[in-house]
Amino acid sequence: MSEALHNPEVLSSPAELSSPKPEDGNSWSLKSYLPAIIPIVGSLLMVLLRIQMGGDRFIDDGALMMIALACYLTAATFHLTNLYAPSEMAQKIGLWTGCLGVFFNLSSWCVRWVAGYDRELQIFLSQGRSAEEMQWAFRFIPFANLYDLSLAFAFGAGITTMVISGRKNFRFIGAISLPLAALILVLARFIGNDFINLPPVLDSYWRPIHVGIASLSYGVALVCFAAAVIYLLKVGTKPESMAIWAAIFGLGVFASISRFSVFTTGIYTASTFLQGSRMAMPLRADIPYVGLLIIASGVLLLGVIGLFGKYILQQDERARNLGHWLLKLSLVSQACAIVLLVTQVKSMTNVASRINPDQFPQFGAWLAEQQGMTAQQIQAIEPSRFVAASQEFISERGSTLVLSLNANPVELSALITAFAATLFVVFFSFRTEVLRKALPSAEKLDSLMYKTASVAFAGLAMLLVTGAIWANESWGRYWGWDSKETGAFVAWLTYGGFLHSRIARGVTGRRSAYFAVVAFLLVIFTYLGVSYLLPGLHSYA
Amino acid sequence: MSAIEETKNAISVNRAAPAKASPSIITRLLNLLSSVRFGVSMLSLLAIASMIGMLIMQSSVDGFDKYFAALTPSQKLLGGWLGFFDIYHAWYFNLLLLVLSLNIVLASIERFPGAWVYLKRPKLEVVAAWLRKQTVTQTVEMRADSRAALAERIVKASQSVGFKPIVTEKGNRTYILAQRGTWNRLGAYAVHVALLTIFFGGFLTAQFGRTGSMWLKPGATSNEMSETVFKIEDRNTFRLDKSTAALPFEVFCTDIRQELIRKDGPITADNTIDWLTQIKIKDETGEHNALVHMNRPYDYRGYRFFQASFMNVGHARNIKLSLTPEAGGEPQIVSIARDGSAQLPDGTKIDYVDFQPDFTMQGSQITSQSGEYNNPAAILNVMTPAGERSRAFAFAQELPSSAPVGRAVAGYKFRLADFEKVPEAHMLSIQRDPGTTPFYVGSGLLFITLSAVFFFSHQRVWAIIEESEADSKNFEVVLGGNTNRNSVALEDRFKQLIQAITGKPQEVQEKS
Repeated sequence: MSEALHNPEVLSSPAELSSPKPEDGNSWSLKSYLPAIIPIVGSLLMVLLRIQMGGDRFIDDGALMMIALACYLTAATFHLTNLYAPSEMAQKIGLWTGCLGVFFNLSSWCVRWVAGYDRELQIFLSQGRSAEEMQWAFRFIPFANLYDLSLAFAFGAGITTMVISGRKNFRFIGAISLPLAALILVLARFIGNDFINLPPVLDSYWRPIHVGIASLSYGVALVCFAAAVIYLLKVGTKPESMAIWAAIFGLGVFASISRFSVFTTGIYTASTFLQGSRMAMPLRADIPYVGLLIIASGVLLLGVIGLFGKYILQQDERARNLGHWLLKLSLVSQACAIVLLVTQVKSMTNVASRINPDQFPQFGAWLAEQQGMTAQQIQAIEPSRFVAASQEFISERGSTLVLSLNANPVELSALITAFAATLFVVFFSFRTEVLRKALPSAEKLDSLMYKTASVAFAGLAMLLVTGAIWANESWGRYWGWDSKETGAFVAWLTYGGFLHSRIARGVTGRRSAYFAVVAFLLVIFTYLGVSYLLPGLHSYA
Repeated sequence: MSAIEETKNAISVNRAAPAKASPSIITRLLNLLSSVRFGVSMLSLLAIASMIGMLIMQSSVDGFDKYFAALTPSQKLLGGWLGFFDIYHAWYFNLLLLVLSLNIVLASIERFPGAWVYLKRPKLEVVAAWLRKQTVTQTVEMRADSRAALAERIVKASQSVGFKPIVTEKGNRTYILAQRGTWNRLGAYAVHVALLTIFFGGFLTAQFGRTGSMWLKPGATSNEMSETVFKIEDRNTFRLDKSTAALPFEVFCTDIRQELIRKDGPITADNTIDWLTQIKIKDETGEHNALVHMNRPYDYRGYRFFQASFMNVGHARNIKLSLTPEAGGEPQIVSIARDGSAQLPDGTKIDYVDFQPDFTMQGSQITSQSGEYNNPAAILNVMTPAGERSRAFAFAQELPSSAPVGRAVAGYKFRLADFEKVPEAHMLSIQRDPGTTPFYVGSGLLFITLSAVFFFSHQRVWAIIEESEADSKNFEVVLGGNTNRNSVALEDRFKQLIQAITGKPQEVQEKS
């Protein structure tokens, strides 16, 4: 409660009004927006420089993206440090490194735009056509595939973090949102920044509008998720129950990778490419040790679920302590699995010898299908002939089979995300009370969560509406229950559920926060799962 | 207590009133249908049903036949029985949408009076203890000549920071309510009106919309559109059902064209900038020329034409022939458009009859081995000045003179010097959709109302001025306020307000 102010100056202040000075009292001044403004202005300068200098002498978009990734991770480290050991210095470094990351992130995207134009111009010039025949610049706006969208999504998350960082006591949000943005860039790195020729149906002015809204609202949704997780921690959700959810997520990832086979066969297999080709072959090579490490991590996570479950139900302190040990062991084991996977994929030679012949009948059928055989014809063929065809393929072209980190971008990113989730739970369980004290009040976090969810809800609504209008312009139907449409719709419904849960009786803050968490998971499912798992019109991105 | 809770309590009081009389089943049902909690449950159910439709392939999706064939009999039986293969048109899905719409309408009706009160009967007087518990609050002691002078000062200060103040005198206290954005309390209703408009559009589309497609190549005419759908029969097998619908006009195709990225590349989608179809629509009002291309549909009499697809079989929109006189001499170059003809100076007439991208002969039958331009050849009819007709072939690649198809015709050796690639045919899709207008209106409304609701808020600040007992020139002013959203913006405005009143920057105590 406020104490009455007994300030002699107030008491003797003249009766006439002094004009208010908004700069003094208003913390949303221009200065507080600087972390968001600087990256945008900087990137515009960067792209002008790129146009001026040409592509040969300028840093390319892939390198800029990697710098952005490094900046995000550095910034996150400083933000986390600041939470545990508050220091003005760490906070400032965190803020400005994050700002630099957003700058490089956006620069990468802008430079890619120019590079896309240059690329098609080269094709035109090589055919004796002139630059005047080229399409307008919007054709080359980098929203053509999942790489472009990921770059923009990470930027959306970064810029939202920067806008929120205008409030000093919300700067901590970077500790969660920037690592998530970094994860998206890691995914982008695995997808690879090759250019594709734009599918003609995407060549519409609705594309930048629709996808632009998508990347920004996904970014806001990411920050909302970060706020919801922090809110849950603040209002007393135990790190142990977060660990259970993270473990379930991790187990889900481990179960689904490598075609759901790691837990049954104990072997992790990676997709192969033909050298120089972008298409993954339906032949998977065994990567030694990785499967075992993943099983070990999974078993440890199962132990974590059991022990923490016992702790939560029976307040068993011993189970709790043991659970934390298993969690840390699982973290180490996951890290080893990822490192072994990445190094072996990068260095493995003689890939053909690592291919399990059990895949041959299926691969042979695939070969036959590639040669234009119909399903009936394939069914009539003996499996042994498929095996023979596969063996012939391996002996002829086996030496050109290679592994690549780009083969399974979602799988690799999912593994890294499971690792990151475990890592954060380990962080949260370290001196939880100190962390809780360092965080702003639950009401402020709730307000941040509500605000970001509102923007995400409005953004997703606009996403759906612009998508519908675009669909009506190019396919003649504004709603067709396409999987991506439905995914965004379900995420939007969930944010709607979040907003309504706040005015419904009997739903408390914590239950509202669950809506925000689930909604973000649905956004991620829409963004990745639909493209990689489900058929549909949005299969390109 | 937040403003939301305030409304909530008002509502719960309203709701409690009819409960006193013995609640009939209908009342209880209405109460359930109009509760927000029920709405949230409906939203969750709708989300789950949509997810099911997302994860299980729908019968309208390409490749459903393959997917369906790979299912086990029990999966087919269960999925078919539950309507999972076409869930978005299942009766329960429609029911869900209907109940949700009803819930939106009923909940809006029930909650509207609560929101209307903010506009109609603003809360003019408050208790100091309540004010001290608001989102923002501050108590200041100030000197002034009179209570009225101080009230005047606070009114001016609140106006200067963008509030609309109302002053109420009661006993020895003055109450000031300063608020802004009161209309924002009604914004949520406008959002729901927009949503219902969109739902209505969707309903019209589902009930009265027609869709179909039409294959067109230059010279072809059609007056019907057709649609193929998968129909699941006996819960275990499915068949392709083709339905056709007559159009009230005739569509004549005059030209098709494809813009490629690499002119020497294939006509596949990844080498394409655009497909263009030139049509002429004929009906009792006359002829109407139109160009349909990617993302540029054409509207006519409530029907909309879209560039939908193409036949991946190569053809040539025009050919450039090189004719070398058999007797020797410089070759002549002649260009002919698809299905067109040309006359040479010597009177020889050449008709461009057909084109094969991958020319082959099966017996005497001329055909194409594939749709790709592996061995492109133009098929021509040649008529000499004397009236003698014969067939000629112009190949892009050099043929040995011994090849029968490469022989000279009408005194010329024919070569296909160049040609413009184009598909054999284009597919247009045609829609008649009466739901589009409500959908667009609803979308526009949604955009406006969502922006209005989320980017503005109803901010209220009260001030209670009370004279101090010891000194009549000394006053205690209790200020406090709340908002329906964006408390951060309220805090900023409140700080400005305090500063404008006291003339000094203040540390405002926030509720923690």
